This record gives sequence, structure tokens and C-alpha cells, in this order.
Amino acid sequence: MSENKIVSVADAPATTNELVTAVIAREIRDGDLAFVGVGTNGRAFTLAVGIPLTAVRLAQMLHAPSAAVYWGNLLEPDLSNVPADLKQDSFTRWQAASSPSDTGVKCDMLARRAFDVCFDSAAQVDRFGNLNITAIGDYRKPKVRLVGCLAQPEHFAFVPRPIVVVDLDRRVFVEKVDFITSVGHLHGGRSREEAGLKPGGPHLVVTDKAIFDFEPESKLMRVRSLHPGVTLEEVLDRLSFRPVVPDSIPTTPLPTDRELDLIRRVIDPNRVLLRV
Amino acid sequence: MKEKLVSLEDALAPVTSGSTIAIGGSLLRRQPNAAIRSLIRRGVTDLTVQTWAATTATDMLAAAGALRRYEGIYTGMFSYGLAPNFRRAVESGAIEVRDFSETAMVARFRAATQGLAFLPIKTLLGSDIANKNPEQFRPFSCPFTGEKLQAVAAATSDFTIIHGYAGDKYGNVQWPVVRDSDDIDQMIASAGKRVIVTVEKIIPHEEVKKRPTLTYIPGNWVEAIVEVPYGAHPVSVDAMYDEDDAHLTDYLERSRSAEGAAAYLDEYARAIPSHSAYIAKVGGLAALNRLDVQPNELNHV
Repeated sequence: MSENKIVSVADAPATTNELVTAVIAREIRDGDLAFVGVGTNGRAFTLAVGIPLTAVRLAQMLHAPSAAVYWGNLLEPDLSNVPADLKQDSFTRWQAASSPSDTGVKCDMLARRAFDVCFDSAAQVDRFGNLNITAIGDYRKPKVRLVGCLAQPEHFAFVPRPIVVVDLDRRVFVEKVDFITSVGHLHGGRSREEAGLKPGGPHLVVTDKAIFDFEPESKLMRVRSLHPGVTLEEVLDRLSFRPVVPDSIPTTPLPTDRELDLIRRVIDPNRVLLRV
Repeated sequence: MKEKLVSLEDALAPVTSGSTIAIGGSLLRRQPNAAIRSLIRRGVTDLTVQTWAATTATDMLAAAGALRRYEGIYTGMFSYGLAPNFRRAVESGAIEVRDFSETAMVARFRAATQGLAFLPIKTLLGSDIANKNPEQFRPFSCPFTGEKLQAVAAATSDFTIIHGYAGDKYGNVQWPVVRDSDDIDQMIASAGKRVIVTVEKIIPHEEVKKRPTLTYIPGNWVEAIVEVPYGAHPVSVDAMYDEDDAHLTDYLERSRSAEGAAAYLDEYARAIPSHSAYIAKVGGLAALNRLDVQPNELNHV
């Protein structure tokens, strides 16, 4: 998505960011509570914050008026007026229905399964949807020490429909993660439930080239759709493992004119959320 | 009430090498950086730290070679990327790392608060965070339902160091009405044995007692309180001042090598006799005032 390439020839062609935002919006159901992380900046911000917030807002405006977001420690922030920049004071002043007294409240809500959807990205994703944001190489003396874990293990343990948003890259999509920070479908089959976790695990993996889901029995990652103009070979080339490839693979549906119009003119008119 | 207002050096004097310290703050907010620079200046080392989302405080301790062991949910530089000194030290095997997810760390501080050895969680079943740490995660079955649970060990520490907004000379620390609440400083304080708090400003007790619900760290829990304006610099105190982008950028640039980071600490921690000297070193209050945010009319601290 870094090139943000044009995938439609309509008079207002959709960018890849807009394409996947519309796909995610259609996954949001009325009444859903969605967790969105605080992200960092640049492309990582778009993946972790920009696309998810735009998608939930789009869903609110189209088919899920009572869908809600928990962002940082703000429960139901005002999505009609998002911060214009990433300075601390812009976050401090973001208005919301609630800002619980500490983050422990959010942790408790996660553990009692109060959330329906969450958004996550990672340095490594494997074929069973396990994530690694802790360390590349040996945990005790890693090649690359990453950030740790935050609440990502909670998302995967307790949220029924996690959506992974990450660019397609061979170094990211690996056969087996070096360290299982967040348990997805573990070793496939029923291994997740056998470990003691409730059914769940990653629901979708949304990338800049294709959308993936997981085969219900084996829990292997499966190609769900290819973005317009992207070939299967191109996708397989950017994976270190072979996903399940169905006989026929649909093309990721383009955003409707109404969706595009709302994203561009109403939700993100200054291109803060879907900038890069 | 007992007066607890002391100098930074006196407040931190009991903290010696080999101590376990819980550190407050989250991401680029309220890291107790003035206190950490003071510990580095004194050469305190061999520390175990317990943190929430750690940035500068933990990274500077790593740069100083003062960290023996780390237990926390995150160490990075938020929008500035990974934490360079922490990363280098962990990759060289110099720091014992134990990662904890958010519910695990919350359970650990709540257990310490309640005087329990552990609390149960069910977050990390199958996760390498628990698999690689059998000392602090123990599997057991729920005595009521039989479901699989994990006991996670309490976060007991020798000292707790937190940077707060404002407090009185008795150690009562208050938060503003409009703030960024994405942290667990109150919980970390409640779990502490010896709680040392630095604050942006000391306010009259008369003001504090008009609004006791804003006191998130009661003086009753506190051993010492210290006034250190801009005590979180170069990160922010939400509702008071923003992060110092130029200083953080310089810190990261110099931290590209261990030598560069050591020179940074020599300049901003070791060669500086006090926090007021640090303020002078970074351009004085006139320079720091430029980081101030517009006061919110709903806030009084």
C-alpha cells in the first residue's frame, strides 16, 4: 500500500487504503465494540489507527450506527472530530463519552470478552495467524528486540473477531513465528481450544495485495480475495509459506461511490488517517 | 499529617544498587526522567525495573548499564520507533527480560496491592510469554469450574517512582480533570512499599482538600514528594506540556551507538549536579515554557 496505487478507473479512483477500509467497514456489525490501538506514525499509524478508525466510522454512517470504538483509554471518542496531529496535547483534548480512571478498566473489559472486534499488526505473522511483536531470533539473546506485547495477547485470547492489518511481505509472513506473543490458531486444528483458549483467533488478515481468512478445519491461512490487478503469483511470492488456495478466488470488491465519498469528504477530508 | 517534601537527592537516597523499582508513566507521558537521571548520576546500578509502557526512563537506565532485569508490557519510543539502548542491551544478552501482557501486569500490581502472592489470569495460555517464564507464571485449574488458569506472581518492589502533576507537602498527588488516563500510575502506587513521587508543582493543601476525589495518590501511601518542574522532560506531562521533539530526536540520534548514548548521559545526567542545573542545560525555563500547552479551563492543577 506504500505506493497507494490506483485500483479503479472511475472518475474518483479508489486507493488501496480506501479499498481495504471499505472491506473492513463491511465486517463491522451494528452494536460492535472495536478496540483500536494508539499506533505510532507514518505507515504504521495508517495500518494500526488510520484504516481501523476510518472503517468503523464508515460502518457507523452506513449500517452500524451503534458500533463503538475503544481507543487508547478513550471509550467512544468522538469519531466526527479526530485529532489533527499526533502531539500529546491533541490526544489529551480528544473528546469522548468516557475516559476510565486507568487502563486496568480496559484490561478487565477485554478479559470478560466485552469487545467484538480488534485491530492488530505485527513484525511476524505465521500460517496459523500467531503474531510476534516481542523478539526476532532467540528470546534470551535476540537478533532484534521488538517492543514486547502490550495488550495484543488479550486481543487474540478474548476478542471474537480480530482483524490483522499488515502489508504483505515475505519477512512478515513466515512459516512459524520466532516467538508466539499472541496465540492465533496456535498449531492449527483444535490446538487453540486444547490450550484452554475460547474459540476465536484471527478472523481476517487484510493486506495491500489480498485479503486472507482461515480454513475452518485446518485453521490454515487461506486466500479470500485478491485486490484488483493483483495476481496470485504476486501474492504467493510475498509469503514464506503456501496458504490454502481455493479453486476460484474472487476480486476484492471496490468501494461504492457512496463509501468513497464519505471517506474522502466527511471522515478524512484532510487525509490525516489515510495519508500514507 | 506528616510533611514529606524533600529534595530529589534526599528522596532517592534509600534507593541503592540491586534494588527493584516500579516505574510509573506510559509511553511519552510522565516518565520520571528527573529521578532516573539522579539515580544515574549517583551510579546506582544492578536494578530490576517493573514498568507499564516504558520509554525514556527505562531506555536511559539501559544506556547507563544500570539494568539487570526488566519486567514490563512494552519498551519502545512510541512514535519515534524502538528504544535503542534497551534494544542494544537486550540483544547483547546484558538484560534479563521478562515480558508481561497488560492483564498480566495489572494482575501483578493488584496482587501486590492486596498482599497476595499471585492473581489468576487466562490470557497467556499457549503464549511464549508464559512458556518462557515458568518462575512467574504457574498453570493451575480453577477450583470452582476446573478451567485452565495461570497464576502470575505479584509485582513486589523495594521502591516505586512516579512522576505526577501536582501535590501538596504531605504527599497528596492530584490529577487534572481533563488528562490522558491511558496508564496505571494509581495502581502502581497502590502496590508500592516505599513510594517516591516527583511532581510538576507543589500546591497548597488548602487547594487539595477542596477536591479530594482528584487525589489519585494519597499522601498516606507516600514516603517522599519532590517538586521537579519539567521532571518528565524530554517527554510530556499531559495537560501541562508536550514532548520535546528536538531533544528526543537528538537523544535517538546519539543513541545510535553505545558511545553516543554514554556521551549523552555524561552531558545530561552525570555532569549535571541537580535538576535545576538540567533545566539550565536544556535552555532554561524560557525554552521549556515553549513546550507548555494551552491551559484547559476545566483543570485546576
